[in-house]
Amino acid sequence: MKQMHLIAVAVCAALASCAPAEDKVSGAGTTAGVAPVVAGEATMRRLTAEQYQNVIADLFGDTIELGGRFEPELRVNGLMAVGASSVSVTAAGMEQYDMMARRIAAQIMDEKRRALMMPCQPADAKLADDACARQFLAESGLWLYRRPLTDAELGSYVTTANKAAARLGNFHDGLAMSFSAMLASPRFLFRQETLEPDPAHKGQVRLTAYAKAAQLSFFLWNSGPDRALFEAARTGEIHTPKGYAKQVDRMIASPRLERGVRAFFVDNFHFDEFSLLTKDAEIFPKFSAQVLADAQEQTLRTVVDLLVKRRGDYRDIFTTKKTFLTQELAAIYKVPVAEHGPNGSPDIWQAFEFSKDSAYGGVQSQIAFTALHSHPGRSSPTIRGKAIREILMCQKVPAPPGNVDFKLVQDTNNPVYRTVRQRMDAHATNPVCTGCHKITDPMGYALETFDGGGAFRTKENGADIDASGTLDGKQFKSAMELGKVLHDSPATANCLVNRMASYATGRTFKREPWIQAMEQGFAAQGYVVPELMRAVALHDVFTRVAPPAQQAAN
Amino acid sequence: MNKLASRRRVLKSTTVGLATAVGLPLLDCFLNANGNAMAATDGKKAGAPLPVCFGTWWQGLGLNPGRWIPEKVGAGYTHNVELKPLEKFTGRMNVISGTKYFLDGRPLETHTTGLQIASMGRIPTGVNTVASLDSEIADVIGKNTRFRSIELALDGSRASVSKRAGSATNPSDPSPEALYARIFGPEFRDPNAADFTPDVQAMARRSVLSDVQDERMSLAKELGASDRARLDEYFTALRQVEQQLDIELRKPDPLPACSASAKPTDIKTGREVAFVEQNIKMFGTLMAHALACGQTRVFNVMVGSLGLRKPGTTQSWHPLTHEEPIDDALGYQKEVTWFIDFMNRGFASFLTELDSIKEGAGTVLDRSVVVWQTDHGYARTHTIDALPIFTVGGAAGRLKTGIHVSAAGDPATRIGLTMQQAMGVQRGSWGGLSNETSKTFTEILA
Amino acid sequence: MRSMKRPLAAAVLFAAAAFPAALFPRAAFALESRSVVIGWLGQATMNGDKDCGAEGPNPVIGDQYLKHLKDLGYSGEEVEALAKKSAEGGPGMDPVLEIVWMRGRVDGKPTNPYVYPETAIDPKLKPLDGKFAFGFDLDGKGADQASAFTDPDTLEKGVDHEMYRALGCMRSFRGSLTGRPTYWAWAWGQTRDSQPAWIVTVTGEDLSKDGDVTVTFDRALEHVKSNPDGSPKSDATYRADPDPRSHNVFKGKMKDGAVTVSEAADFRMLQNPLIAPELRLDHAKVRISFKEDGSATGMIGGYQPWRDLYWGMANGAPGVELCVTGDIVGMYYLLKHHADFDPDPKTGQNRAISATYYFEAVPAFTTPAQQTASK
Repeated sequence: MKQMHLIAVAVCAALASCAPAEDKVSGAGTTAGVAPVVAGEATMRRLTAEQYQNVIADLFGDTIELGGRFEPELRVNGLMAVGASSVSVTAAGMEQYDMMARRIAAQIMDEKRRALMMPCQPADAKLADDACARQFLAESGLWLYRRPLTDAELGSYVTTANKAAARLGNFHDGLAMSFSAMLASPRFLFRQETLEPDPAHKGQVRLTAYAKAAQLSFFLWNSGPDRALFEAARTGEIHTPKGYAKQVDRMIASPRLERGVRAFFVDNFHFDEFSLLTKDAEIFPKFSAQVLADAQEQTLRTVVDLLVKRRGDYRDIFTTKKTFLTQELAAIYKVPVAEHGPNGSPDIWQAFEFSKDSAYGGVQSQIAFTALHSHPGRSSPTIRGKAIREILMCQKVPAPPGNVDFKLVQDTNNPVYRTVRQRMDAHATNPVCTGCHKITDPMGYALETFDGGGAFRTKENGADIDASGTLDGKQFKSAMELGKVLHDSPATANCLVNRMASYATGRTFKREPWIQAMEQGFAAQGYVVPELMRAVALHDVFTRVAPPAQQAAN
Repeated sequence: MNKLASRRRVLKSTTVGLATAVGLPLLDCFLNANGNAMAATDGKKAGAPLPVCFGTWWQGLGLNPGRWIPEKVGAGYTHNVELKPLEKFTGRMNVISGTKYFLDGRPLETHTTGLQIASMGRIPTGVNTVASLDSEIADVIGKNTRFRSIELALDGSRASVSKRAGSATNPSDPSPEALYARIFGPEFRDPNAADFTPDVQAMARRSVLSDVQDERMSLAKELGASDRARLDEYFTALRQVEQQLDIELRKPDPLPACSASAKPTDIKTGREVAFVEQNIKMFGTLMAHALACGQTRVFNVMVGSLGLRKPGTTQSWHPLTHEEPIDDALGYQKEVTWFIDFMNRGFASFLTELDSIKEGAGTVLDRSVVVWQTDHGYARTHTIDALPIFTVGGAAGRLKTGIHVSAAGDPATRIGLTMQQAMGVQRGSWGGLSNETSKTFTEILA
Repeated sequence: MRSMKRPLAAAVLFAAAAFPAALFPRAAFALESRSVVIGWLGQATMNGDKDCGAEGPNPVIGDQYLKHLKDLGYSGEEVEALAKKSAEGGPGMDPVLEIVWMRGRVDGKPTNPYVYPETAIDPKLKPLDGKFAFGFDLDGKGADQASAFTDPDTLEKGVDHEMYRALGCMRSFRGSLTGRPTYWAWAWGQTRDSQPAWIVTVTGEDLSKDGDVTVTFDRALEHVKSNPDGSPKSDATYRADPDPRSHNVFKGKMKDGAVTVSEAADFRMLQNPLIAPELRLDHAKVRISFKEDGSATGMIGGYQPWRDLYWGMANGAPGVELCVTGDIVGMYYLLKHHADFDPDPKTGQNRAISATYYFEAVPAFTTPAQQTASK
């Protein structure tokens, strides 16, 4: 992480890659006789809050309330999906997991719900019932452990349930105890890549059938496997290329794919940062908690509609005029969106298309981008430019040096330098600063027509805003033109390929030949994201890992 | 031998009371305000910390806009003029400014709507309501005390903010005499002499968690070195939950500062300020002793501002807010401001009583938090934004203090959610419609 | 730009800046509309220090109640004793309130004075004494009348605003455009979020130039949208309710960014019945001025049935009297005496009183209700 790639290097690398060396590129998937691409050592990833919630909802329906707080997640190389491979559980976090587990168990065993939630009922509710406890725990265990429990594991949970039932004089209370232990188990809270010898490649290992199923479902659906996928794992069908491809096809065709695509973009667009976002209420009076929620949802709906529902070109997310708005958002965008639902409904979504002349178009012009990447009280071309480089183009922008005097930049009431561009020009007299600002600011200036709260403006403090700039040699004069440049830049599409592979595997990759091949494949099929996800899922890198390094273990 | 296994053995062979000896970090909530793990009187003997207490102070009619918000946001703020009576608690309290009650199209029932939103997080739609904040908290921290919560009203009424789910209100004790009789009457038993029966649920849970610990070996075998270290962290965390249970399963440590309060005498109740002033102090003394003796961990004070009056005048606080002209020279209503100052001094006097019982290095107030809330930001025109909220006390180390949080435009229910989470209520969000929030005041959560 | 040209043929409200221009080609007879939504409405007042004589405004309600006791014939000592007992508190009904809340008399028997105001003694509260008041010359008599005010903004003479004179010395009705009177702040606070929003639309050929305009007042199907801090939200969208009972049209002129209505028209707007089921102003006149950011302030004046106002308060009595308004029956007599319009053919008693309301509004989008088919 300490190593800083100056952007110049990144840009040069990107330019060099425009003509990839064909001979180094291997095709997607496993080619007979060619050594498979191995992602890296086996990992253990902590379930995200949403994954936890999804698994419980898949198992018991979405009326179960979790309560509790999840621990903060960690972002590594742009993705929390990668950070999940290196986080553990703190004492405070464990306390929350323990409380959530008991709360969930209590809801399932609740007198009014248990008939719906449980496959069986005890012969006598005051006594232990081995058979019923076994049935419930075996079934739940499959979903929580993402594999059938071993006899020893099941036996242990059943014994716990029976002992607790005897102690408490109540079958359901006892079972709740045992079940909450299962919910607090590391086997549930961590997704582990379990391995077995690979019969096709002597001396190598592969994911077990159940680990493969889980890998696939968390990638495509952001939740655990469904029954059909478990079945494919049980029969071993998932290990055959045909059987595996069949599952991938089925899962990509499923409506649950939308959930997976959303989860990817929530992660990739840094939407977790919304929980810390505040806006100065004096300067941006329309900003509310509802706006924060709606802004994220707007971008997600825009993306899902374009990429999944319409199977559109990924690059169009930078230019699309089609979006979805609530009244809260429409008031900030200053467009009329009438409420068609019941009066007072705060969450009514309307399809909306910005006019051709509107400055709005592309996700980088939406509130979830412009407001998130701004200061609480003002916009920042530097922050926005950095976000474009890092989030949308996978390029690293160096952090500013210490000891910088930002006084002039922050002085929004300066009578001479009225626009941020004027203030930045006056500020960036130091060559060290100028170097970095040149990387970010020219792109950020194009978005200066959106204030720190995402509203369109043509003037700042009465002075006209100059939104022109360049990106990697391409000129633009407005936010819409910037969108076109981003659309046409190979870096944005290539960045998505790398992120998708990292997200799927929880690992970081350099631009290796197999990634470059995937980039080409993505372009060849018209930049359709579900197809990219299919390519990742079918690639060796997704299912093949090396055994964990043991050297430090003893 | 595997390092993990050997560490496990160390843990297993360690008695709970010596937890600190193996160098494991303790759960945050085991730390008191001084950061000491334990509150034992001799300073060495390890024991359970004294439990956290939660109180509410409902003072209707708000404050004067512009006279209470500290200029500085963040730590180290200084009190604005209207909070000067609370000067001695600077550093031990927090000020939260800028929050609002949301109506969502419902009419503003003046003086009522605010109370409903502050206490229940929503405007109820019928007689059946959700439980109030303090009841939710009492269900977690007050389960094993003699009184789930204690309510008292300063104006001699039975009004209270505390509600159980359904339509039941927990009525206030209207006089110090009545409260004394309830707590320290013949049924009072010295907690230090009481027998102890461990909770059967806690015992069952303790045994279940041990089973989870036993999974460690099989899992560790499958992992690489770095993941094993992460697993180790997990089991350390689990061990701490077990320790917490172990503490619950032991007889509580003696309450060193417990003594029965003196019986209040010569009581006059009513809405005249002189009676109220005297009763605040008496109520404060009684509550301090009740908390020190573990009789309850939750209390609710209803000020009953609306009817308070000075002797010899026909005007009480509430009509004055609407009828008294704004003094041109001062820029605010003079008489109304007298009442505000009077009651803020009263709040300080109540807190002083809680702070006067010493327990080890701290006081009853240090292991409590008292939340001050009100119905209107500005009573003259019944505004429901820019509401003042204060918390006093560090809640046994669960809260950071000395901070002014500016939360312009956010729902006031953020404080309710923050308090519930600090007190261990499992809740990710709280409130209804626009008053729902999932944002705590992380600035003040320790 | 908030405004756009629309074909004259489509006579529906529309302020749709962001709609694609191509949908609405600029025609020869194009009209431009600008809408605002009302975020504050209350009586236009401008009280000063000396407008109620040397003794200041009418007494606070507590003192007024003691005066009622005297009016009922209680001796000074009796009143003092009752006041003392009341101040001490204690169980049961307050002894002063017990009497004054039933101070009406029918055949010597106590009667509810709020339901039967004529059964209570007129406390003869004082009206306001002043020369200036916001409003319009509604009766067209100009300066040639003793009782008329002068408007401090327009300097128009002969201004009729008798409600201001009648209630100007009631403490809860005193205030200014910025320091809102308690009663109106309370009333609007009760109603704003519990009734559909009121929208005002100005339509003309080119609103950037002086010329003829049409001003409409309509009710929306939505409530006023608020910012988190409670202020009305700019640029929200409202659907105009097609209900003709709340549709008002005025002819006026735009001059220097301000709209003045010259031809008086009757104004009707349904509202939360807590105050009155309808805000009704006969022979109403309007003026509105727009700011650069699209927000607006305005005055609307006309003759209002004064009993509507009385019953709005009396319905909440005696609680509202004690907590908010002050002496409600006293105000009954004030309104009755100062009523200046619509004499009852039998008794000659005027049934309406001239009144002026001040409103503040923020920019809004308006769409007709019928064009809301879900996509």
